[in-house]
Amino acid sequence: MTESISLISGSVFSMLSGIGVTFQLIFISAILGMILAVILLLMRISNKWYLNYLAQLYIYIFRGTPILVQLFIIYYGLPQFEFVRESFLWPVLRDGFGCAVVALFLNSAAYTTEILRGGVLSVDKGLVEAASALGLSKRQSFIHITAPIAIRLSLPAYSNEFISLLKSTALASTITVVDMTGIGRTIVSETFAPYEIYISLALIYIVLTFIIQKIFGSLESILSRYTKK
Amino acid sequence: MEALSGWWDDYFWASIVVLKIFLTSLIFMVLFGLVGATAKLSNNVVANKLASIYTVVFRGTPEILVVLLLYFGSALALTTIAQVFDPSIRFIDIPPFWAGTFAISFIVGSYATETFRGAFLSVSQGNIEAARALGLTRFQTLLHVQIPEMWRVALPPFGNHMLSLVKDTSLISIIGLNETLYIAKQATSVTGKPFTMYIVVGAIYLGFSTVITLVVMLLEKYANQHLKVEK
Amino acid sequence: MSLIKSPIIQIQNIDKYFNDFHALKNINLEVSEGEKIVICGPSGSGKSTLIRCINRLEVHNSGTIKIKGIELTDNHADINAIRREVGMVFQSFNLFPHKTILENLMLAQRLVRKKSKEEAKKTAMYFLERVRIPDQADKYPIQLSGGQQQRVAIARALCMNPEVILFDEPTSALDPEMINEVLEVMEDLAKEGMTMICVTHEMGFARSVADRIVFMDRGEIIEQGTPDEIFETPKNERLKEFMNQILSH
Repeated sequence: MTESISLISGSVFSMLSGIGVTFQLIFISAILGMILAVILLLMRISNKWYLNYLAQLYIYIFRGTPILVQLFIIYYGLPQFEFVRESFLWPVLRDGFGCAVVALFLNSAAYTTEILRGGVLSVDKGLVEAASALGLSKRQSFIHITAPIAIRLSLPAYSNEFISLLKSTALASTITVVDMTGIGRTIVSETFAPYEIYISLALIYIVLTFIIQKIFGSLESILSRYTKK
Repeated sequence: MEALSGWWDDYFWASIVVLKIFLTSLIFMVLFGLVGATAKLSNNVVANKLASIYTVVFRGTPEILVVLLLYFGSALALTTIAQVFDPSIRFIDIPPFWAGTFAISFIVGSYATETFRGAFLSVSQGNIEAARALGLTRFQTLLHVQIPEMWRVALPPFGNHMLSLVKDTSLISIIGLNETLYIAKQATSVTGKPFTMYIVVGAIYLGFSTVITLVVMLLEKYANQHLKVEK
Repeated sequence: MSLIKSPIIQIQNIDKYFNDFHALKNINLEVSEGEKIVICGPSGSGKSTLIRCINRLEVHNSGTIKIKGIELTDNHADINAIRREVGMVFQSFNLFPHKTILENLMLAQRLVRKKSKEEAKKTAMYFLERVRIPDQADKYPIQLSGGQQQRVAIARALCMNPEVILFDEPTSALDPEMINEVLEVMEDLAKEGMTMICVTHEMGFARSVADRIVFMDRGEIIEQGTPDEIFETPKNERLKEFMNQILSH
């Protein structure tokens, strides 16, 4: 029993040392994913049919295929092409971490776009009409009226997507990235104690999920203060 | 493209494996979802708590971890149990198919729990009372009033759960299941064309997703037909 | 000496369809500077659709609409020019919930009229006082009552210094005790000479303020005239029916 406890505590410390990698994966992917999502959103709601369809195609592909497959295509598949190996992107695509970030942010962008779009569509049409009646251009109306409200409306759904992103970072361990899961799997292969290790690891993720939910909850409260008397 | 010749067969049978996992886990996913939803909606404090723990655990844990845990963990558990009866047994293997199927059923089932719960709650209390007042038993009310209405609300998110399910099958390749990613890996080592091989896997999953999405669209049309007003 | 008032709004032969539904049938209407028009009629008669065509919130299918000589077409520059001169007050207020009252009043001034922050604020406070709620400047819309919100909406339209203000059932969404505070503000506005086109069911207001009442039914203008003509001697049968229904309350 004491053997188990010391095993668990030692492993937990080891796995937590990987939290830096996990956080880097989440935050870089989330930020890049959000930037791409905003671009895709503007394409999606634009009047130009070709931009709209292009965005829809992107979303369809990335939401219709598993992240693991996208990960493998980027990590194992891209090196097949010489032009990739010789391009300026090669240093990023050469190692597991870079490929993981690319796969994660491309995937996250697809889901985030639809979330943002849902927020935009939920904005009260009357407000947009009032802005038009006052003489605001479509662009001014979007920036000052639609966007701020849409962001607040999208928060709940986005918090789910962010947590999804956290869980997807674990997949990076399949392409040699040494994140928390990567460390955990190594320890299991050495100690043959899957229960203790994996359950502890799961608990770490659950705690992180809880913290993230709390943070988003506070964010929602702050942004919603004008909706409360 | 010639690299692919000779592999179509393998990919086909691997896709059948994906289909089998999907259909099997679909049944369990619905089961776990309904059980979880009922537990959460019931007045029983223990059931409530257990269901809450269920959803928190499986929605907060990375899917791959659940797959690994169920596979290695249950193999270990079964081996230990078996060794009680026959100490000479060194290792009992759980087929990755079942470990994986249960893993993803548990995971998506936790999301389904929330979906079904929300859908049940959205059924208007007035309709239920009317049914009971007309003399229907609790079970009849459930069957003829609550479930049809709940189903209509649950259908769109349920479609998403089915999509998650089919995509999560890819994770089972990590524990050695002979499905599409596994084939791709083999094919790569033979042909040296990883991109081509993995793109095929992507296309196969895209195909599954498309079919599921179309089926859900049809079901939604059917479920909502009584809402269309003919002028 | 008679002053010939120039027509600010000229609506000629307007037709509008929503898919197959013929919402506006050959509408002709002229509004002169300083005139107060009240448009009334049963639900679905096209009253709101008509005024929403004036500031292009709805697009008419045939005919011409001219505001101060500028014709309303797909030309964005023209549409924007027209919207600067035409203010609108909505049934559901449509105050921007995420901005304070002051910010609500200042936003269009700064973005459309390109005024500086100080100028915009001065104008905003001036009109807030005109609608009698200067102390609510830093609150958010949700903290105000319906009547207060609608008065803010009127102030918001006034801040843009429009030539005409359109009112789309401004008191229909208000609790009865708050209707008067809004009507009073609208009456003040009328006294000061603002050109107003008002879609409303408030017949008391129509009677005391309107220069002309336009009665619409099923997409057509059935009858128009001074309040006395419409209330005392209605000619059309449908108008008489409508008056009976309204006035029997």
